[in-house]
Amino acid sequence: MTIGPEIHPKRARPLPFVIAWLAMLGLAGVSLVTAFLGLGHWAPVAQFSIAALQTSMLFILFMRLKGPPSLKWVFAISGFLWLSFLYGLSMTDYADRRSWPPVQASSAPGFEAHPNRP
Amino acid sequence: MPASATLRPEIQFATLEQQGDAAQLGMWAFLVNETLFFGALIFTYFVYRISYPHEFAVAAKDAVLWCGTVNLAILLTSSLTMVLAINAAAQGEPRAMKRWLVVTAALGVIFLLVKGYEYYQDFQDRVVPVVNFVAKPGEGAAGELFWVFYWVATGLHAIHLTIGVGLVLYMLLWRVRRGEITPAYYAPLEVVGIYWSFVDAVWLFLYPCIYLVGRS
Repeated sequence: MTIGPEIHPKRARPLPFVIAWLAMLGLAGVSLVTAFLGLGHWAPVAQFSIAALQTSMLFILFMRLKGPPSLKWVFAISGFLWLSFLYGLSMTDYADRRSWPPVQASSAPGFEAHPNRP
Repeated sequence: MPASATLRPEIQFATLEQQGDAAQLGMWAFLVNETLFFGALIFTYFVYRISYPHEFAVAAKDAVLWCGTVNLAILLTSSLTMVLAINAAAQGEPRAMKRWLVVTAALGVIFLLVKGYEYYQDFQDRVVPVVNFVAKPGEGAAGELFWVFYWVATGLHAIHLTIGVGLVLYMLLWRVRRGEITPAYYAPLEVVGIYWSFVDAVWLFLYPCIYLVGRS
């Protein structure tokens, strides 16, 4: 008799994990290529979006967020909720500073200094 | 008599399944703290990167791209081998479980070795703030901020990965040998797997922060 948490036989098949692994490696390759395409400020947007997608795959499949106990979702979502509070509240400070980004910052591909800042 | 034959839930749990669920939730609660820990670090990075875009682009060109990329592939692969070990444990295949755990720990050690080589290169390139640092033209004082982030972030990540390797070895050399990981109860291994993949996820974000800046 099995009395512990069971992994459903379908979930134990390695193929979905191998496919996800190949997809994550492929996405890592795409992320690397975007660094050399001269995409300007879109490059970090693409790279961090890819990282978020890869992380979602890791969390849901490899960290078995998909599956019992479903209370795991509350913990996982709360982490990102608190993180969004941290980022949001911190940015209300920085975004309101007239001297931020600093005036001496020169523009460069990637993140550019805000043009309307004094 | 193997320990698995007498495996019973701890006194506060009704069943092993309940005990396993509690163990998983405990790890997730810990990872919420870790998310905020690394999240705050990366937020600081963004504040400085937006403040000094040119300086960061110049400084980041000295980061050893191939080391970071190879290590990314190693960590993604180790997450796969870890989950294969858990699946093998669930299906009652101890030989396969041990094999995948050995591969996972080996990949973790290879990551650390590549990282160690990269640190050596960084020292040669004189990008170690306070200890051995020379600012490049166009980098300014803000370039040093990039390298402070680099050493703090990769150092903390390496500590986490070292703990992960230790946990995998503990599973392999202690819990598995004592017959405590069985198809009936493999939650300890699953909890280590959750931690391992989280450390992998942290690197997914550190990689573009450090290695993909200022390349075009």
